Amino acid sequence: MEAFETVIGLETHVQLNTLSKIFCACKADSWGDPANSNICPICTGLPGVLPTLNRAVVEKAVLLAAALQADAIQDLSYLARKNYFYPDLPKGYQISQYNEPLARGGCLELPLPDGSVRVVGIEKLHIEEDAGKTIRQGDRRLIDFNRCGVPLAEVVTKPDLRSADEVAQYLIRLRQIVRWIGVSEGNMEKGQMRCDANISIRALGSEELNTKTEIKNLNSIDAARMAVQAEIERQVEEVREGGAIHPWTLNWDDENNTLFKMRAKETEADYRYFREPDLLPIRLVSSWRGAILEELPELPLERRARFIEAYRLPEYDAEILTEERSFSDYFEDALAEYGGEAKTVSNWLMNDVLRLIRERDVLAAELRLRPEHLAEIIHLLDDKKITTNIAKELLDKVQESGKAPSSIVEEEGLSQVSDQAALRKMAEQVLADNPDQVATYRGGKTTVIGWFVGQIMKQSKGKANPQMVREILEELLAN
Amino acid sequence: MIVETCDLPAHELVRRLKQGEITAVGILESTVARIDAVEGRAPTTAPYQAEAMDQEKIHAYITLTLDRAHEQAQAVDRALEAGEDPGVLAGVPISIKDIFCLRGTPSTAGSRILENFISPYTATPASRLEAAGAVTLGKVNLDEFTYGSSNESSAFLPPPGNPWDPKRVPGGSSGASAAAVAAGESTISLGTDTAGSIRQPASFCGVVGLKPTYGRVSRYGLIAFASSLDCPGPVTRDVTDAALALQVIAGQDPYDATTAAIPVDDYLSGLEKGVAGMRIGLSPDYFRLRYPDPETGELQEQPVAPEIAAAVRQAAAILAEAGAEIVEDVAMPNTQYGIPAYFVISRVEAASNLHRYDGVKYGLRYEGAVEDMIELYQKSRGQGFGPQPKLRILMGMYVSAEQYEKDYYQKALRVRTLIRRDFETAFDPQGDHRLDCLLTPTTPTTAFEIGRVYGDTVLMQYADLLTVPANHAGIPGISIPAGLDSLNLPIGIQLLGPDFSEAKLLRVARAYEMATDAEAWRKGKPKVLEAT
Repeated sequence: MEAFETVIGLETHVQLNTLSKIFCACKADSWGDPANSNICPICTGLPGVLPTLNRAVVEKAVLLAAALQADAIQDLSYLARKNYFYPDLPKGYQISQYNEPLARGGCLELPLPDGSVRVVGIEKLHIEEDAGKTIRQGDRRLIDFNRCGVPLAEVVTKPDLRSADEVAQYLIRLRQIVRWIGVSEGNMEKGQMRCDANISIRALGSEELNTKTEIKNLNSIDAARMAVQAEIERQVEEVREGGAIHPWTLNWDDENNTLFKMRAKETEADYRYFREPDLLPIRLVSSWRGAILEELPELPLERRARFIEAYRLPEYDAEILTEERSFSDYFEDALAEYGGEAKTVSNWLMNDVLRLIRERDVLAAELRLRPEHLAEIIHLLDDKKITTNIAKELLDKVQESGKAPSSIVEEEGLSQVSDQAALRKMAEQVLADNPDQVATYRGGKTTVIGWFVGQIMKQSKGKANPQMVREILEELLAN
Repeated sequence: MIVETCDLPAHELVRRLKQGEITAVGILESTVARIDAVEGRAPTTAPYQAEAMDQEKIHAYITLTLDRAHEQAQAVDRALEAGEDPGVLAGVPISIKDIFCLRGTPSTAGSRILENFISPYTATPASRLEAAGAVTLGKVNLDEFTYGSSNESSAFLPPPGNPWDPKRVPGGSSGASAAAVAAGESTISLGTDTAGSIRQPASFCGVVGLKPTYGRVSRYGLIAFASSLDCPGPVTRDVTDAALALQVIAGQDPYDATTAAIPVDDYLSGLEKGVAGMRIGLSPDYFRLRYPDPETGELQEQPVAPEIAAAVRQAAAILAEAGAEIVEDVAMPNTQYGIPAYFVISRVEAASNLHRYDGVKYGLRYEGAVEDMIELYQKSRGQGFGPQPKLRILMGMYVSAEQYEKDYYQKALRVRTLIRRDFETAFDPQGDHRLDCLLTPTTPTTAFEIGRVYGDTVLMQYADLLTVPANHAGIPGISIPAGLDSLNLPIGIQLLGPDFSEAKLLRVARAYEMATDAEAWRKGKPKVLEAT
């Protein structure tokens, strides 16, 4: 059977997390707010209003372009009107950018599970305003204008993706970057990232670009993966059966996990783009550009490579530690405080600190358990001043109270008990109370010693030095 | 001759008010009495049947806001009584072209589609006038969405008449603004000029009309026609009032990104310093109308009306007498392409600006049953728009379509650059001409009769041939009265200057005004006032 290759390009809309909208002073993020509560004459396009550009939108978009390694962030770019009629587009045109976008070129690297890296080319990045939301209620349409004027950066890739999994990987990496550089929350479920996928197939080895279909408004990574996979399978089947691919526009039905056709797009819509006369060109003078780019941090893949190189961390650790920026900052801060093995700190972060973060749904930077606290706890453990169990409890206690670990140890008397006589006394008592278990041990089932250790740890509220307890028990049971 | 209060210029009203000779309420009453005398029946969107009386009246106001006016006038009088500064336009009756949004008033744009739209906010220049103490009498008629040069295309009829002969048009699109100022129905009117819409009606009605530099006055709240050409500006009785009004409305506005950060000049302090040493140009390209024949494309040529040409030459002589140097034969070769380029650019922007009127959010919505949303759009827009918006949408959509825009829109933008270059050359301080300003006729003819040109969109557009270049170039222009023709109709002359040269233009205009103060034609009175 003929083998096919899939060609996919993505257009992703990233909601920039500015305080106000792109062209007016309304609050930009309306998540959870009642319909039509963040609107004004400007974003609802009343007669006579004019847009004024929010500079923070340009700044965040420039930062994103730089993070995507744009070849050219333009000194001069223009906003343009994209004209079309839709009830939730109150001006009858969307202010966007057309053939003079903010940035051109660039790439996003996707490390793939097999160890290879797929470099996805970026065609362009531009800024635009969002439209409103139409809600269907029976045969009525209700319009919520809250989203009108919400700032978006549209990132358009080259047709460089080859599978549904790569689409998912791309979205994961893009989301990581927008969060990392602080330009968007990138939460697809909240509509902060939305994606349109253009899909075509061709014979393996061919360089041709065939007729493509477009899937609109994919609003989760799972939806994107499933929808793209379904469309690839549909196209392959269609071609194998001798059919033709038509340039359809498709939608993904989240409820039923199926694609449905929105409209047959036989001719491209003519949006009659022209430069927006109500706004001046965007002039990125060098002082402004410089000030923006000064804010560009080390990017996740760079940091990941550095962690492997500088700290000799396994790739797996480096990947988890650099998933999110404040978590990786936390790691480096804790390591600097600790001064010991990087892998030790990494283990604590990947297991226990990550658990705290997930349980509380916060960022690492928001924890009350500061990196220096973690370093102190590891030191206490290294110095055998506390047991591992106490160390783990301490994480929660510091997080709850915000107090320094050593003062909690002091206040609550959590120091490890290494007093021979006291431990011996406890051990004797436990053996005396459990003659059956003693018999079992002496009968040859020596693993039961673990149970005795557990009893003593329980009695000592975790403070007993488990190594010493074991030694004492072994000695007593041998007699 | 007793001059009625409502016929005084604003600077004189303010002077008398501050001297305690009159009150703001008194000014208002005088103006309202004049409105009662000359206005005639109110224009409406009801099916229009012309009546004989219509030919004698002005029909300027679509909406009167007399309650607002009374409150404002009383506030001015209270402020004066309390010894507070009531503002530089205290008590001055103004009218606002109904293309501006004014909070709480119908803001109709002269169109059925916005007949029931009550604006929730106020346009920047209107709010600046009110903040300076002006008293807003109401919203005046215009061509629908400002699309015209005669006011005949308004959905609100009867159309405004020219006070000098109400059988004739007042010009347009700020026609009712000019008519109201000429007839004493308001002292100042806030108009807009996209191709000559302030200057041409000012010329037709014998008043002063100033189109400022693009970006000098905020467009916020001006219902857009062609966003890159629209300019708000004042229509006034005299040059001093134009300076006064511009002083109030000019300046940067955080709500309009295209307003300039350049400081606003003091337009009043140097107003009467004269023209000694100024270089004022005359261009043969402004004394003839050259335009491509709409059928054949061949270049046609006609002279401007001889009486108008003579008035301009006479004005040049007067200014030379006052110490200016007149520079003849300034070539402005791209003037002839102004209208064709304007046809394309303005309509592309207009079609886009009209997209928002869809019957969904505000304005007229088709009441009958519809199959779907598209039909709702079609029916609402079909019913709401008159012929002018429809024509402009059709042409705008055509010339901006992907397959044509390179041949039309992009080419028109290049022509626009060439027109701008003509002015840059003429005004270049290192150039051959080094002009301070250019002196031209404002219009090729004086006011024409109602119904004579309307219907011929192309011919109507040529009323703007001599005014549109300033809009393309973004430069300021002013039209001032310069006599009456043999039919006793006002003649206007135009001064055009480089960017932000309003102070200088006003100074030249004022010099001409002072030099002609004693002329017999200055005593002429509009026909509608003869009976009063």
